[in-house]
Amino acid sequence: MTMSFSAPLVKIQSLYKSYGPHIQVLKGLDIEMKPGERVVVIGPSGGGKSTLLRVMMGLEKIDSGSISFGGKPYISSEGADRKTEIDSEVRRSIGMVFQHYTLFPHLSVIQNLILAPCKVRGEAKASATKRAQALLERFGLGAKANAYPAQLSGGQKQRVAIARALMLDPKLMLFDEVTSALDPELVAEVEQVILQLAAQDMPMMIVTHDMWFAKNIASRVIFCAGGVVVEDGPPEQVLGAPKEERTREFIDRVFHIRH
Amino acid sequence: MGYSFDFQSVSFGPLWEGLIVTLELTVAANLIGVVLGFPLALLIMSRFAPIRLPAMLFVEFFRCTPAIVQIVWFFYCVPMLFNVFLGSMTMGILALGLNLMAFNAEAYRAAIQAVPREQLDAGIALGLNPLQRTLHIVLPTAVRASIPVLLTNGIGIFQQTALVAIVAVQDLMYQAKTLATETYRPIETFTIVALVYFAVSFPVSQIVGHLERRRQLMMS
Repeated sequence: MTMSFSAPLVKIQSLYKSYGPHIQVLKGLDIEMKPGERVVVIGPSGGGKSTLLRVMMGLEKIDSGSISFGGKPYISSEGADRKTEIDSEVRRSIGMVFQHYTLFPHLSVIQNLILAPCKVRGEAKASATKRAQALLERFGLGAKANAYPAQLSGGQKQRVAIARALMLDPKLMLFDEVTSALDPELVAEVEQVILQLAAQDMPMMIVTHDMWFAKNIASRVIFCAGGVVVEDGPPEQVLGAPKEERTREFIDRVFHIRH
Repeated sequence: MGYSFDFQSVSFGPLWEGLIVTLELTVAANLIGVVLGFPLALLIMSRFAPIRLPAMLFVEFFRCTPAIVQIVWFFYCVPMLFNVFLGSMTMGILALGLNLMAFNAEAYRAAIQAVPREQLDAGIALGLNPLQRTLHIVLPTAVRASIPVLLTNGIGIFQQTALVAIVAVQDLMYQAKTLATETYRPIETFTIVALVYFAVSFPVSQIVGHLERRRQLMMS
């Protein structure tokens, strides 16, 4: 994919999304993400954070708006028929990890990793297996290649899920509350893996409730509430000295325990 | 009661031959039911009414009429209406197989609908197309989840095979009826036959129980 130096990696334009006639989740969202940025999206539940990621992955239809990746529009709903058009070729450059472990329970760890490369990209099994094994070693899961998801801890499952997404060489990773379902002592091992990716300049958009993690990984923080971007800036500003009243209230509440 | 039991006069040869026929009917009907039940389940879940409605009608016909009526209908009405008769064994297999296919389709449908949404989301996020998601995620997950019901239905069909005796398929029940008439020993014959049906069915029902407990452990 070619992209000019100044072009944004992701450009989201006036995105509207509702569930049924009464629940408007996204109300005209505009976000531009530059290459190499690590955007953390925070905000109250129901504010549209997870919906935003699901829309970017093409898992939800939209009412109107458009999203482009690397200068190419790949999701749009602008015609009169309001049909969500998704360019799956472009979408394939994006990887996603979910809150609930979504490993396929009938496949072993290594089979989970090679399924998409072999079926979607037609990669030879031997080559995919070799790459998968190397990736598992890197994440400290080399010995688990032949284990089944039911035999893994929550933290191990999430690390495998991250490795599985990386097998397709994504140019952008989406993390949707990936540590929310984990026992507290397992959170760090998953966050370490994401920090490791960040160190290699993987662009990512992360939805999280873990403010320590947000502070550590973000190059930019977006506070999203009521379906719109309320505040957008560097982590020191949004998490440390927010300009908007609504952001401040939210940050105060979240950090309440520590103060 | 002055009845004196005499198991000696019941000869096992014909019963054994009958059991083989019964098992053949069971295996063949299960092959049809297990294999074709899945595509049928996909048809009854189709969003396209001209596909969905005939498939649902097929399933409901077999679920809502007695098996014995279906078998009789197959043996007497199909040859008269369509001028085909494929031999009593084949007709028996078809009647039982289509019946099982309808019941298994319902088992598959329930299991397909129980495949977590997140699994499919992950499949989409990995770029799998709808056919690949069906083959590599839905099919294996749903088949596994429906194994206990498939086994229960399968063992049900094993018992239902006794019905084909009335249309002269020489299964276990047919042989038993013949033997009972010849030896005047109905109590002994049918007791033995009941025990044979039980001896085959009981272990399978135990396996079903075991699988269900194991599955609950896996899912917890």
